[in-house]
Amino acid sequence: MIPNARSHKAGKVVERMGKKLSRQLVGSLVGCVHCGMCTESCHYVLANPDDPTYAPAYKADQIRKIFKRNYDWTGKIFPWWVHAEDLRTDEDLEKLKDIVFGKCTNCRRCSLNCPMGVDFALLNRMARGLLVSVGVMPEGVAVVSKDQWEVGNQMGVLPQEYIETLEWLSDELEDEFKDPAARIPIDKMDANIVYAINPREVKYDPRTISDAARIFYLAGESWTMPSEGWDMTNFGLFSGDDELGGAVALRVYDKVRELRGQTLVLSECGHGYRSTRCEGPNWSGKKVPFVIESSVLTMLRYIREGRIRVDRAKNKESYTFHDSCNNARSCGFFEEPRELLDLVVTDFREMYPNRAENYCCTGGGGAMSMSEYTPQRLKSAIIKADQLKATGTKSVVTSCHNCVDGLTDVIRHYKLGMKVTQLVNLTANALVIPERVVVPVEVLIPAVSLPLQGFKILVVDDEPDILTFLAAVLEDQGATVIQAADGEQALALTIQEKPDLVTLDLSMPGKNGGYVFEEIRNNPEIAFTKVCIITGKPELRRLIYERPVAPPDGYLDKPVNEDTLLTSIRMILELKHPHGHA
Amino acid sequence: MSDTLRFVSNELQLMALSFMAIVYIIRIRWLLKYKASRDRQAPSERRDTSSLKGIIYSWANIAMPWSMESTRRMFFFYLQFVVFHLAVAANIILSFVIPYAPGLMKPIIVVRMLQILFAAACAIGCYRMYRRLRNPAMRLISTPDDLFSLGLLTVWSFASIFAAPNRPDLGEGPLMVYFIMTAFFLVYVPFSKISHYLYYPFTRFYFGRTLGYRGVYPVKHVVQPKPTRT
Repeated sequence: MIPNARSHKAGKVVERMGKKLSRQLVGSLVGCVHCGMCTESCHYVLANPDDPTYAPAYKADQIRKIFKRNYDWTGKIFPWWVHAEDLRTDEDLEKLKDIVFGKCTNCRRCSLNCPMGVDFALLNRMARGLLVSVGVMPEGVAVVSKDQWEVGNQMGVLPQEYIETLEWLSDELEDEFKDPAARIPIDKMDANIVYAINPREVKYDPRTISDAARIFYLAGESWTMPSEGWDMTNFGLFSGDDELGGAVALRVYDKVRELRGQTLVLSECGHGYRSTRCEGPNWSGKKVPFVIESSVLTMLRYIREGRIRVDRAKNKESYTFHDSCNNARSCGFFEEPRELLDLVVTDFREMYPNRAENYCCTGGGGAMSMSEYTPQRLKSAIIKADQLKATGTKSVVTSCHNCVDGLTDVIRHYKLGMKVTQLVNLTANALVIPERVVVPVEVLIPAVSLPLQGFKILVVDDEPDILTFLAAVLEDQGATVIQAADGEQALALTIQEKPDLVTLDLSMPGKNGGYVFEEIRNNPEIAFTKVCIITGKPELRRLIYERPVAPPDGYLDKPVNEDTLLTSIRMILELKHPHGHA
Repeated sequence: MSDTLRFVSNELQLMALSFMAIVYIIRIRWLLKYKASRDRQAPSERRDTSSLKGIIYSWANIAMPWSMESTRRMFFFYLQFVVFHLAVAANIILSFVIPYAPGLMKPIIVVRMLQILFAAACAIGCYRMYRRLRNPAMRLISTPDDLFSLGLLTVWSFASIFAAPNRPDLGEGPLMVYFIMTAFFLVYVPFSKISHYLYYPFTRFYFGRTLGYRGVYPVKHVVQPKPTRT
């Protein structure tokens, strides 16, 4: 190593690089011939043809030059000859951060197109890990990693919130099938299947959990969901932190072992599948003694074995399929979703290119949690938008929660008017439910009331459009809505009106949302008011959860859609059924 | 043939080759001192592939332009690559043939074919140099080593056009230039990007092993059907 004036952090990065190097990494560091064949495989390059700094080889060179200067002979002796350059200052680290986090989603498309077999994504992930090890990372990455380390899942879902959601969904399931056995089992021992999910499902999309539960129930499966170690996602994959990756994976594996489960089934999430199925054993250094499979495979097996019956005529729209990079390019999982799709929809149209050659949803690699790079992400998404548009379909199906969010953003930004859905939703919708013998009982049908009728909700946001949107959605559901455009007004109205719930924006002029939240919690008169944070800056989440007061009752990232908003509000207000109070 | 030409075509070549071999051995030892990471997880559900198939596919990748989108899209660029590398290989063989098996160069057709190949490589080298300097992305990633290596191979190919006939009786200049350049090439290669052929089997082996095990390799390319007229 070159003893020279380096900042403390830069010194640590260089030192740790030496410890991280594997034969695969070194091969990729020395193997690039700068032929430029990778260039046009990257959606960032295609969308920004005038900016050569997006070229994968250039981005990799920013990592390679540090390696060459410190660990490779030509770079040590003739640095200028091979563009070797040392890492010296914290500013250098910041620049590297903007490249490895902001200009690449680690989708691995360039790696697949490199004639030399240089794995750019591997290099990029290593660089991310090195930066994270010295605390240089986007704020969103820090927040999510912290949640996964400390709370046990990457969205900070508290144990009580998770269990309550499952119970609420169980109640709905029991009601639907009129069968007390139709519930989501928690921590059942010796089950055939232990089902692990993405925390996004608890937070924003509980429908995917209930759809999966319906399928397991109708298949007569012996299954369970774990009370802990249920988050199959792993931010270690995105942050490059192998230690986090190993710890999170072990948390899931240990719980399955404790429950003596036979198969760990993972809900549809590309990075979760890759992390838990493919990378987890490598990060944790341990082989896994049970089978791990995607829920897509499980559903496909149920249909093939006749355990569930489906009628594809129930999904009549035109559908295309988006392959998640982690599923297709890193785990070879691309045929099974298509086989399932063929069984549950009538009109499936392939997207081109597809499978391992598909373009990234543009929200991968943790990009959705890095709001500072959103403009460049959405600009680069034009490639994905064109690809989606060319299919001429109304819906895009994907087997990845991250892609659901990424694609939703692309569709909204480019006004494509498409819907995003997952295979579990389509399969559940196509289910043919066996008829039961029902004893007719005279039921008194109550007059239909709106679900939020009788609730008073204060919506707080400094953006008039958002205020109007929130108020309209909640009023349509029967709530009495009061509006506040700044922090002071919000506090005054909370004290004066005593609403059942406050939806609170964080970033506002004057008294910001964090201050208002703490004031509410510290004022005994209104301390128990339910609060749902709605913010466009996920990196501010830490500021809220680190305050010395009880945490908020809900948390939503902007942009928020109507379904997500109502689902969360219902959960916070503990409304078990859409038509009535708990 | 003069003593000087005999020396540069024989002893000098052997010295340069020995030097290159020693440096390469050191280089491979250096690469192997890094631990290879492995896949501990269960293999892919895809039954038609394996680590071994992945490795073979990965190594053969270079001969299958249809296997990568980049080579499918830039097929002309791929052809240039093939011709250029064939010329370099032929050039290296020529440096052995002239001193040790000159009879192989007797048929004029062999000489002419080689000259055409070297001329094509030279033209491709010039075009590649132009591309490196003109294209902003290529300019940005090109190091002095990239430019020098390309220039060296282009000039070497040019020199080979005149060395291929192997006629020292008509003047030793072309052969002298060719062999001195070859010796320089052999000594310079281990320190330059040209040694990528040394790394190729390693990078491709590990990449193929992982992607084969995970069911990604062989890549399944589904061709978009052409719209039909109704």
